[in-house]
Amino acid sequence: MKRLDRIAGMLLGTALIFGIPATTGAHAADLPPLSHSLMKQAPKPAPALKLKDIDGATHDLAKLRGKVVLINFWATWCPPCRREMPSMERLSQALKGEAFAVLAVDVGEDADTIHAFTSQLDTALHFPILLDSTSRAMQAWKVAGLPTTFLVDKQGRIVASAIGGREFDHPDMVKAIRDVMGK
Amino acid sequence: MRLSTLTLLAAWSSVSIAGADFSVDAETGLATWQAESGAIQVRLTQISPDQARGFYQARGFSATAAERYAAECIFMTVVRNIGETPIQHRLADWRYEPAGQPPRAIRSKVEWERIWKRQGVNEAARIAFNWAQFPAAQTFAPGDWNQGMTTYSVPRNGQFDLRFVWRADGKTHSGKLEQVRCANETS
Repeated sequence: MKRLDRIAGMLLGTALIFGIPATTGAHAADLPPLSHSLMKQAPKPAPALKLKDIDGATHDLAKLRGKVVLINFWATWCPPCRREMPSMERLSQALKGEAFAVLAVDVGEDADTIHAFTSQLDTALHFPILLDSTSRAMQAWKVAGLPTTFLVDKQGRIVASAIGGREFDHPDMVKAIRDVMGK
Repeated sequence: MRLSTLTLLAAWSSVSIAGADFSVDAETGLATWQAESGAIQVRLTQISPDQARGFYQARGFSATAAERYAAECIFMTVVRNIGETPIQHRLADWRYEPAGQPPRAIRSKVEWERIWKRQGVNEAARIAFNWAQFPAAQTFAPGDWNQGMTTYSVPRNGQFDLRFVWRADGKTHSGKLEQVRCANETS
């Protein structure tokens, strides 16, 4: 019952924040489209990120040196976060076996809530979903709103970021990430 | 209540007046105002009191605390950079002006945090609240957008104008959404 309540609450939140119509014509009520740009920035050391995932395994960004890491801060009630999630999985699969990793960091929610969301997706997510239950990681990364995404290079430096929803497997995004991987 | 909220997905009608769009969800009656000015697009969509109560109670707010929030005039707020260069916004610079009253600042997340601590809202619920509100300040690259709730101390069905402010290319700009109306109790 508790789980059903959580799902109802999550759906409620989604509908509430979505506020989007079923129609596809572009007008005031439609949310903006997912974009496909990354804002490059002067490299700077990434803050520490060491959190448990929804299965209890610990992930430490420091141990991913040598890989380019896409770090996405999100929450299930955040509509653009939900919309971009399948494309993050497609990106992850497209770059599977290469020096690339995705870490999705959920803020302030528990594993049950996240499972309720991921089980609704047509796409199974294979990248780790970390739990930032106190939002301290978000504060350390100076995240002001959700979703926010960072690209960390092989040396552990933030080299690009994105605010708002993205189509992560768009060719522009893949090229931008491959450019960083090639450095 | 929850089922009715879940039926937000509905047909909309919309009109454009002098750079501003207005639309109403035919099913829920909730309205959206949108303005584009220079590099910024700002959109406000009504959130009904029932939606606010349901959303926060589902995230650990007591009925009393949720009611305190629902007593405000609440909007889902979307800001998007539709220009070619980065823009910055600071919600503290925005002002709303109820009819016949002086301009006011939007209550900040910091102020809300004080209220919730006084009301004994637990940390997890306060975190959810914090991230559901529109960010206090952000820089948007071209194409970036974000959303969150903003609140206005205006009675149900009351009207106000909103002056939004942003910076681009070292200059401060502003635009206005006029005659924005708060949701009814029964919306």
